[in-house]
Amino acid sequence: MTKTKTLALGAVGLVSLLLLWEGFARSGAVQSTLIPAPSAVPAAWMSEWDLGFWQDMVAASFSHYAVGLLIGSFLGVCIGVAVALMPRVNASQAWIVRIVRPIPPLAWIPFAIIWFGVSETAAAFIISIGIFWINYFAALTAVQSVDKDLIEVARAFGHHSAIGRLFKVILPAASPGILGGLRTGLGQGWMTVIAAELFGIPGIGQRMIEASGLLATDVVVLYMLTIGALYGITDYIFMLAQNRLLAWQK
Amino acid sequence: MAKIIEISGLSLGFQRDEQQHTVLENLHLGVERGEFLAIVGPSGVGKSTLLRVVVGLTQAFAGDVKVLADKTPNRRPIAMVFQEARLLPWRKVLRNIMLGLEGLDLDAATRRERAERALSLVGLAHCAERWPHELSGGQRQRIGLARALAVEPELLLMDEPFAALDAITRQGLQDELLRIWAETKKSILFVTHDIDEAAYLADRVILLGGSPAHVTREFSIRTPRPRARDGAALAAAVGEIRAGLSESYAYRVASSA
Ligand SMILES: Nc1ncnc2c1ncn2[C@@H]1O[C@H](COP(=O)(O)OP(=O)(O)O)[C@@H](O)[C@H]1O
Ligand SMILES: [Mg+2]
Repeated sequence: MTKTKTLALGAVGLVSLLLLWEGFARSGAVQSTLIPAPSAVPAAWMSEWDLGFWQDMVAASFSHYAVGLLIGSFLGVCIGVAVALMPRVNASQAWIVRIVRPIPPLAWIPFAIIWFGVSETAAAFIISIGIFWINYFAALTAVQSVDKDLIEVARAFGHHSAIGRLFKVILPAASPGILGGLRTGLGQGWMTVIAAELFGIPGIGQRMIEASGLLATDVVVLYMLTIGALYGITDYIFMLAQNRLLAWQK
Repeated sequence: MAKIIEISGLSLGFQRDEQQHTVLENLHLGVERGEFLAIVGPSGVGKSTLLRVVVGLTQAFAGDVKVLADKTPNRRPIAMVFQEARLLPWRKVLRNIMLGLEGLDLDAATRRERAERALSLVGLAHCAERWPHELSGGQRQRIGLARALAVEPELLLMDEPFAALDAITRQGLQDELLRIWAETKKSILFVTHDIDEAAYLADRVILLGGSPAHVTREFSIRTPRPRARDGAALAAAVGEIRAGLSESYAYRVASSA
């Protein structure tokens, strides 16, 4: 399929969904507060914008997201790579991880609030937990599955130091897996950011709870779509970078 | 003639369950400077293990590998070509060839120049900016050879480098290797399980056999080059080697029974 055709089909799909939704909302089958029409969203956006809420909420959520993402990704990748390189540590972490990892990020909320109060730090902490595990496992498995033959090539051509091997072979060879983890974390982060804010930390999540309390469902939908768009944009930008970095793959 | 490498009393193998499994035992072998030496033996006899010890990828259990190459800071005494080209897929061709140059005492311009020269030597100068996955199997193997040539080794180790290629490509690469060998005057230690290939390429063919393995026979091939692939001289040499191989195979079966 050509590029334009793919784009056109994507647009057709999106527009049809909006039309169906609009038609259903206007049919009177359900109350308009239960399912607001998409055409109500631009107006909601204007009023939120005029009040300055939209900008503030997006900026706040983005900052929680960015901090949590950076910390979680950085620690996840570094520790994942390090553990994969140390067989003994790797063996001793297995059961700790098996037990700690299934705890959902949101289950850390009580501790986040006890430790950091209802604060930006608490939100970033909760977000970083989910992202950490994703990156930890992605990096761990990526490094473990690096082709041993290639490491041997580096050694045969004089790269005997651990640092040399790490930068010449291990990290580049593991980069597809590591980048895949980063990208999954990017999405996971937006999912937890809202949940973390539902507990009163200022941001999109908190504003959504407020709006739903007032039955301003058009505002709720506005923020739902905002999250979707923010995720779409970050993912798209990351994908472009990823494609560039992995141009060497078939 | 002076030797480039001298192996004496070498025993080696691998470690499993805290136990040493000896693959080669009491092996004596020398390669003359400028010589093309082929090592032939059945698969699993320990040919790769031998090369791995020579290039320093594993330790011998006992014995001595003396490399008599000159030590210079901008060359490596030994370089290896693997059976599967083993190029780094995230590096373009020219950067792959530079891998062995990166630890040497060379500036960036010289590294590039040396890599380009090695690439021309294998006839792929036009592929410098390609990704490895854009090459054919034969081209990849030639890049593997260029990567080894770039470090300007005195001894080239080749581990069944053409075994995975189709017959036509293999013949082409054999001739190309002979041309490069004549041009660069390197010593080559060439491992193969293909008797025809050994007889066509080498000055001397050594058979490995037995269990644990050692050198069972040795043949000098004095047929002048260029050799006719289906000439009578080569056919005689091949016949002789084949006979030697079945002898040592019978010996191997008898000694392990
Ligand atoms: N790390 C290892 N673990 C287990 N077996 C090994 C290892 N290295 C070599 N071997 C065994 O040693 C023998 C020689 O291997 P190799 O040198 O690869 O043979 P060749 O190259 O002649 O086919 C084989 O039987 C192989 O299975
Ligand atoms: Mg082998």
